[in-house]
Amino acid sequence: MSAFLEVKDVRKYYGAIRAVDGVSFKLGPGEIVGVIGPNGSGKTTLFNSILGQIRPTSGAVEFAGEEVTGMSPLELARRGIGRTFQTLQVFGKLSVRDNLIVAAQEFKGTMKGRLFAPPDAGLGEHADEMIELFRLQHVAKLPAGTLSYGQQKLIDIAMAFMPSPRLVLLDEPCAGVNPSLVDQLRELLVELNKTQGGSFVVIEHNMDFVMRLCPHVICMVEGKVLAEGPPAAVQSNRAVLEAYLGN
Amino acid sequence: MSRRQLIALVVGLALYAALAPFLKNYGVYLMTLVLVYLMSAMGLNLVVGYAGQMSIGQAAFFGIGAYHVAILMKLGLPFFAVLPLAAGSCFIIGLMLGFPALRVQHHYLAFATLGFNVLIYLILRNEQSWTGGTFGLSGIPRPSLFGYELNNNLAFFYFAFVSTILLALLLAWLLRSPWGRAFAALRDNPIRAESLGVNITAYTLLAFAIGAACAGVGGAYYAVLVQYIEPSTFNVPASLMMLLAVIVGGSGRFFGPLLGTVVVLLLPEWLRFAQNWYLMVFGFAVVALMIWLPGGMLSLPDRFRKVQR
Repeated sequence: MSAFLEVKDVRKYYGAIRAVDGVSFKLGPGEIVGVIGPNGSGKTTLFNSILGQIRPTSGAVEFAGEEVTGMSPLELARRGIGRTFQTLQVFGKLSVRDNLIVAAQEFKGTMKGRLFAPPDAGLGEHADEMIELFRLQHVAKLPAGTLSYGQQKLIDIAMAFMPSPRLVLLDEPCAGVNPSLVDQLRELLVELNKTQGGSFVVIEHNMDFVMRLCPHVICMVEGKVLAEGPPAAVQSNRAVLEAYLGN
Repeated sequence: MSRRQLIALVVGLALYAALAPFLKNYGVYLMTLVLVYLMSAMGLNLVVGYAGQMSIGQAAFFGIGAYHVAILMKLGLPFFAVLPLAAGSCFIIGLMLGFPALRVQHHYLAFATLGFNVLIYLILRNEQSWTGGTFGLSGIPRPSLFGYELNNNLAFFYFAFVSTILLALLLAWLLRSPWGRAFAALRDNPIRAESLGVNITAYTLLAFAIGAACAGVGGAYYAVLVQYIEPSTFNVPASLMMLLAVIVGGSGRFFGPLLGTVVVLLLPEWLRFAQNWYLMVFGFAVVALMIWLPGGMLSLPDRFRKVQR
């Protein structure tokens, strides 16, 4: 496959602790990859190394043929890389609609141009579409911080997709989400993958969610890739089972 | 803003304007002083309330604006030529003060801005040759508008009244634009904002610069209002008073500084019947307000709605 995102031997050490220890993988355009692993296996550190939140100790990250290692989150966002965080990261005092608009407004025109742009930055219609897609119409005008955890999680994810990114890294999208919402979330991601055509990397502990969403799964343990391949193969891999369940 | 709120605002402003002719000189002076400080407090609200940065240095910009006007008008330059210079200088210095905010936050930033305020105060006090030092600068002329001298206090009040409304409209337009939303994103969650392409460096610097420019404009009006300025007016207590006005009214609410400035400047005057106790009563009132209404006076309706639920 032609690599859209290529992670090459990325390492992140904190003194003697090897949080990420030589991880490599490739992702093609429009593909979805799941990253699983027990707590503390280095999944989020890997994400943060790819996304410029932390600088990797060594290794390289290439996106669309360009080396992006160590670039700031701002520079990566401008290249079309979106993300969600493990914990809720919405703008609590802004309305749901404003949360979605601000998620995309900075990609439209120049800074000076945005000063003279209409208040919704010409994104009102698109925000309303996303609100409808994520079934948030009844809370669209409310401050995001006043909503339930599940609703804020949906807003968080909708924000990442608002600027139609070429690559989205989702960090535990199902964490703390009501089981009835998990299926809705999976359907939404499938829909967005189809309509926006972006590639996704998904960290998740909900195995059913990962197995049904991701055609390719990577299992990390102690900072290393333990196994990768189709979900069924990874799920039945003896080493993976041991890592999760112990000997 | 709802229709009812708009009507209330227009009626409130009309009452404020209509009250002035019935007051004595000191009353008109106080009402003008509220407007002048309000200009600065509105700028501080942008920095603290909308962009989520901390500043205890607003009075320094107020002073820079005032001294610009005092020095240059005494040299013969007209007010309307000096005003943009004062605002522009404060904008540039505010931009520079924004740089520490890129590295430190919260109380560390508060102390960085406080240090800046002390620095400006010392410059104003020690550079006697052009600031007059502790003696200050007197004889600052009032401006004239279309050939009409604004020496009359009432005329100057209306001039400041219209100017404050114009500045408020400019800020309202700015905050309604996508910039306003970006400032709020910076305040609520800078890490998330950056991951969504919000240039937090640029918006942090802009917030400080615009807030400083507003203080510069306020200071310029202050100088021509009192016609005599000296450095202690622009020291840290004045910055704290401006911050108090923003917080008492409702930080991050557009009309918060308006209510806060009225309360902070006029309440001590209304409490003068308490003679030596008035500052104590004022202090107690502020403490009580912060305990029961930490969101400021404008958060009162929200509080009622919460109780009703």
